Amino acid sequence: MSKPKLAFYWAASCGGCEISVTELGMRLVETGDLVDIVFWPCIMDFKYEDVEAMGDGEIDVCLFNGGIRTSENEHLAKLLRRKSKILVAFGSCANEGCIPGLANLYDAESIMERVYVTVPSLDETAGTLPMTSNQVPEGEIVLPEFYERLKTLAQVVDVDYFMPGCPPVVEQIWNVFQVILSGNLPPKGSIIGADAKTNCDVCTRQKGLSGARITEFKRPHEVEADPDVCFLAQGILCYGPVTRAGCGLPCINGNMPCRGCYGPPDGVVDQGAKLISAIGALIDTDDPEQIETIMDSLVDVVGYCYRFGLADSVLNELKYK
Amino acid sequence: MAHDTAHTHAETFADQVRAIPGGEHLEMCYACGTCVSKCMIQQKVDPEYNPRRLLRLVMMGMREEAFKSPTTWLCSACDLCYPACPQEIHISGVIGAVKQLAIEAGYSSPLETVSVDEDLCSGCGICVMVCPYEAPHLVDKEVNGEMDRFSEVDTNKCMGCGTCVAACPLGAIARPGVGNADILPQLEVGKANGDPRLITFVCDWSLRAAEDVSLLESYPDNVRVVHIPCTGRIDPEMALRALRSGIDGVLVCGCAPGECHYKRGTYVSACKIGLLGRMLDQMSVEGGLASGRVRFVQIGTQDRGRIRQEVDAMLEHLATQKEAAS
Repeated sequence: MSKPKLAFYWAASCGGCEISVTELGMRLVETGDLVDIVFWPCIMDFKYEDVEAMGDGEIDVCLFNGGIRTSENEHLAKLLRRKSKILVAFGSCANEGCIPGLANLYDAESIMERVYVTVPSLDETAGTLPMTSNQVPEGEIVLPEFYERLKTLAQVVDVDYFMPGCPPVVEQIWNVFQVILSGNLPPKGSIIGADAKTNCDVCTRQKGLSGARITEFKRPHEVEADPDVCFLAQGILCYGPVTRAGCGLPCINGNMPCRGCYGPPDGVVDQGAKLISAIGALIDTDDPEQIETIMDSLVDVVGYCYRFGLADSVLNELKYK
Repeated sequence: MAHDTAHTHAETFADQVRAIPGGEHLEMCYACGTCVSKCMIQQKVDPEYNPRRLLRLVMMGMREEAFKSPTTWLCSACDLCYPACPQEIHISGVIGAVKQLAIEAGYSSPLETVSVDEDLCSGCGICVMVCPYEAPHLVDKEVNGEMDRFSEVDTNKCMGCGTCVAACPLGAIARPGVGNADILPQLEVGKANGDPRLITFVCDWSLRAAEDVSLLESYPDNVRVVHIPCTGRIDPEMALRALRSGIDGVLVCGCAPGECHYKRGTYVSACKIGLLGRMLDQMSVEGGLASGRVRFVQIGTQDRGRIRQEVDAMLEHLATQKEAAS
């Protein structure tokens, strides 16, 4: 029997997903013996033409990380969808937009303006902006089109499995490799490499402190957190109650609150709004003015509440309906 | 706060009530009835509800009658009566003392209370932190040979406000009539109902006048009134889902500060709707969202007729917005 063909691709992402895969170390070498890696631009030299030359469905499994921000991202998403039997949205960006998805707060024009003209670190007064097509003496130079907003992989193509995490932790990657190699895959559309529970289910900090409420939302750098007590009880925003478990709590065990990168658990439609519903009920005041002050202490409410999931949120749908 | 139940025979019922913190000022009541005039429970729930009568029952040693009285169980400690009492009796404190003795005597609350679905509960403890009545607590239980932690609700303490139902991220807590499955279908208002489409969540306690309550029945189909026990029950996710379905606006009507029937619901709602508005504003683009599509108003006990003004103002605002967008 021939070895299964595996492809990795990165679209609008940071590269952290690839690093997490390489953390497999010697197990990656072992994986190389069990599968044929047919496309992985970050690690090995392949060209897009190599993929185009493949037959439809020739790739057994494609692990696709990154969101869809440019025409190049979209082209590869569609190409790899066609060439792959199984397409996995790998990591938070492909699943729900992640940090690049926060750019959906702004339109494409103001992002370009900010990045290429007004950013303080840029010594640029000419206002030169990248263009999709540019005529130079040697001919036309083209760049991919920068779309109006970032889309998740499933907003562009049909996705078979969803593997959350920013990045997916290495043990879950190994688990998923085992599942793929065993051929015993769950039903299409399933979330893989994560648990059904939430992080609060597995977190062992002291919780449920009666009357422990909030008079200020504290940011992690502003306070030394008690490592044994629930972050929320200390006024530090923690995403644990609205976040799927499976990461092994590296942040919480490092005395940093969960930021929600494993996405919402079953039953939560909009992770940010659900978080607000929980933390809004924690405020400890009967003074309308102080309520405003408490809300003011939550700087950048969208950034906090939708750090990873904005591009896949109801809020995003309302803006880009 | 375990109370010593080994009472001596010489101790009267009134002595027992007075011995519990909150029950001290029992005998100062001269039954003027000002408390009754302030209380919404007699008007809205049970005509038999009457704090001054309960206090009298206690002083007359009518233990069983006091334990069976609806007054003992329905008081939510909103304390609207407290500043009105000329004798400055903390009436909810006295009622709470009677209730504590009733529970010790084996009586239980007749109220509709919340229950926890242990299959969904993650043991996060948010319900424990948000409850105004200290009703939920976390317990460790063995499930399939493993210890797991769940929320458990003391139904004698729960007043059924639903603040925990909205705060629970996993929908693991429900109260008959106000669970997610009860409210979500009410948010479906189709285009055929007319324009602009408005969802109005109304706290059952925020409207004192009978005309204001009956007014809610008179709105045309484009205004959907959703009754909730307290605005603490509001879940911003529901508002977002309503807007996504094409609803033009969401109006939430709660009690004025200091008048919340369940102590904290109106503050909780002010914060949740406030944050939702900030979220919508931060996300907005020209021609897109405006935070004016979601509004929270706090209606005071003296604000007779205000609900009509608020709904009308919201409808006008939404109609103007729609016209500007078209």
